[in-house]
Amino acid sequence: MTMKVVGQRVKRYDGMAHVTGETRFVDDVIVPGTLTVKALRSPVSKGTIKTMDTSSAEAMPGVAGVITAEDVPCNAYGLVPDQPVIADETVRFKGEVVAAVAAVDEDTALEALEKINLEIEEEECVLDPLEAMKPDAPKVRPEGNVFMYDERPFRQIILGDIEAGFKDADVVVENEYVHPSLEHAQLELQTSLAVPAASGKLTIYTVSQALYFHLGQLCGILQMEPDQIQCKSWAPKTGSSWRHNAGFSDVNYIGGTVGGGFGSKNDIHADHVTALLALKTGQPCKWRWTREEDLLYSTFRGAWFITIKDGVKKDGRIVARQMKSIRDAGGYSSLNPYVVDKHSFVATGPYFVPNVQIHGYCVYTNKPPASSMRGFGVTPSVFATELQMDKIAQELGMDPWEVRFINAYRTGDQTPTRRVLNSVALVEVMQKLAEKAGVDLPDKLKNMNSKERGWT
Amino acid sequence: MAEGQFLKATDLQEACELLAQYGGKARLLAGGTDLMVAVNQRKLFPEVLVYLGDSGLNYINAEGDNLVIGAATPFTDIMRSDRVQEETPLLAEVISHLASPAIRNVGTIGGNLANGSPAADSATALLALGASLRLRSKTGEREVAVEEFFTGPGETMLEPAELVQEIIIPRQIGGAKWAYRKLGKRKAQTLSIVSVAISCPLEGGQCQGVRIALGAVAPTPILATEAARILEGKAMDAKLIDKAAKAAAEATRPIDDVRGSAWYRRRATEALVKQLLAQISA
Amino acid sequence: MHSLELTVNGRSYQTTVTLKTTLLEVLRDKLFITSPKVGCNSGDCGTCSVLIDDKLVRSCITNALSTQGKEITTVEGLSKPGHLHPLQEAFHEKYGAQCGFCTPGMILAAKALLDENPKPSRKDVREALSGNLCRCAGYGKIVDSVMAAAEQMGQAKN
Repeated sequence: MTMKVVGQRVKRYDGMAHVTGETRFVDDVIVPGTLTVKALRSPVSKGTIKTMDTSSAEAMPGVAGVITAEDVPCNAYGLVPDQPVIADETVRFKGEVVAAVAAVDEDTALEALEKINLEIEEEECVLDPLEAMKPDAPKVRPEGNVFMYDERPFRQIILGDIEAGFKDADVVVENEYVHPSLEHAQLELQTSLAVPAASGKLTIYTVSQALYFHLGQLCGILQMEPDQIQCKSWAPKTGSSWRHNAGFSDVNYIGGTVGGGFGSKNDIHADHVTALLALKTGQPCKWRWTREEDLLYSTFRGAWFITIKDGVKKDGRIVARQMKSIRDAGGYSSLNPYVVDKHSFVATGPYFVPNVQIHGYCVYTNKPPASSMRGFGVTPSVFATELQMDKIAQELGMDPWEVRFINAYRTGDQTPTRRVLNSVALVEVMQKLAEKAGVDLPDKLKNMNSKERGWT
Repeated sequence: MAEGQFLKATDLQEACELLAQYGGKARLLAGGTDLMVAVNQRKLFPEVLVYLGDSGLNYINAEGDNLVIGAATPFTDIMRSDRVQEETPLLAEVISHLASPAIRNVGTIGGNLANGSPAADSATALLALGASLRLRSKTGEREVAVEEFFTGPGETMLEPAELVQEIIIPRQIGGAKWAYRKLGKRKAQTLSIVSVAISCPLEGGQCQGVRIALGAVAPTPILATEAARILEGKAMDAKLIDKAAKAAAEATRPIDDVRGSAWYRRRATEALVKQLLAQISA
Repeated sequence: MHSLELTVNGRSYQTTVTLKTTLLEVLRDKLFITSPKVGCNSGDCGTCSVLIDDKLVRSCITNALSTQGKEITTVEGLSKPGHLHPLQEAFHEKYGAQCGFCTPGMILAAKALLDENPKPSRKDVREALSGNLCRCAGYGKIVDSVMAAAEQMGQAKN
């Protein structure tokens, strides 16, 4: 039987709209009477707001509304709801939103920002996560600078007996790896358009990569019932893909057209502010960040400081792995605790290690909140663990391919999170890879397979 | 908000008169690739724009031993000019590494110079080629060497009512060797971290009138005069090249910025000068 | 306010602008032609690319008043209902569009190239598109698309 889709090359359902310019991204949605939103951001990395007087800005002709923390019904959101929509009293990073304005045009909105009387008392901040972990470091948050995974200040993954593993080892290979922070720089800027209806309901055009997740959070922030908000992403008009929008209560729901996300749109950046201003002013409100704002203040891949200590046998087997990873999370939790989780789960890479101890730390600093980017922490984990494989090979004077073949997962192996693998093809994949790369593997490796350990 | 005035200069004289009339208030607009960035970023609020797009300052002429390029000539036109490719190939090469096609299509050589950036790519080429600039105002004109023109980051010797009329470049007659290399974060659409342009006429195997221009390593684009002096009148060998490259690095006054550190810039200057001189002497 | 007359995709328009209005603002905010995007507003990313008198430019740093009387082309102007330009066809067929945000600018940069050089090498294509960023990093397929379009257009001529 010939399938229509399976096994066939299928054109993108939205491709036609993309090549004709018909695709409407959020910024391309035009609603008459839309106000322009601009935000006032904290000029300091840490401080206490002493004065916040918006009266002159509000009195300006052309200004429809100004919001501060007082206007937010529930001023905390996120996976761990610890981030205010608008900073209330304490600011924890340079660029944190302290007020927002909706006005008839950009010039007026920017002029209004200048008229807001903001006084912040600057306090000592901490920008380096290793410094932030010290007991006498300035506190990013009152409860401490390290995220608590239940009773522990780190995510712990334990398999086997780490001490026994090191005793069994012939050599110890220990290295430190640093992965710098990285910005998504997606082409479509953080943008949101909120359109209020007379009924009190809201329609939000969002760049979200995580529609339902954000819809739930927005309901919390606005203290609205889910079906009062239609969190709507835009779909191309071409062909049959033009469907009706749907609310939260109606699962007939449209996937978003996102002009590049790469993880930068897994957190709400603008929808909450436009929603609040739309409800306050009764007019559509659009907020498109500038590229400068997006680069400086949107989420990004936070930096990692990774130490790997491996106990290795002379034959190349890794028998113990101790790893400590520190994630610079910035000022708020965002998706960081989950990012550290995933990072820690894959800390042995695709290799079997019988004795494992992983500690993943999520540390707060006075920087914009870091978050997901292409792999939720897995990429920096792979970066470090693969470099470590090369270092092990170097230490033992072995071929880096061989070290990987020896340690590669085989059918029936257990991962550090105690998952038993029942369908493994890593050895075969590496054999194919070597072939494609023009590497002639020694027979010993050519004859290996994923079914058997081979070296036991 | 003030209305502002948009004035089209139909010829050079009108442009000079408008500049004289509006003094410091007027800004010249050609391609706008620097000016409009400043406007968008709200660093510049022009009250009067004098548009040079139709001013007739778009030309490439041969005059005696010189090539004369109108200041409002877009880079693409210069890069593709047969005359430029034959007579000052270094300039064509430098422009091919400047920004990107869309910027080169409208960005002008006069604008690039008048903007006064220490990283202005066209400046390194013109310095190496020994070019001069004809500056013009309502009250007169003067000709200055490119090395005198730049006075600091974003600063030139242009008076408020003065403009760059044209660029005068000695045509390279046969035998002149040259080399260019630009280091950026990427190949296209990037500002230079370091750029080096060298023009080296060889006579009987000896350097005669060698000029080594360095971009983005000092408050202005500069000539490495000491390095050139070391080579002058001599046949290049590895030892001499080393010495000249060190002297070139000595001549830099680089800063640390997002693109590169001062340390890197100095070392890269030495390496590039060495590499390019070796290329020329080979 | 200053009066501005220009032609976009074959249709003439009259509108008003200020001294600092960009061509991108005219297209998007006045004429509701939204294929040129706001990406950086500083001429760096290429999402706002349009053709002025067939030359590739950045509309975000083009002063609107400098386009008085000019002919502007955006990607909306390349196709007619039911009939795509070969470049649009190729970008669709060869997966040259991923998230789609850079696509209008890419297609116009490619058109500017093919108008001048109907038989480009892959290197020519890469150079011609070097000022247009694709953060999905779909450059390989974008170059494939332009090469396919060039071939298609060459065959159509013969």
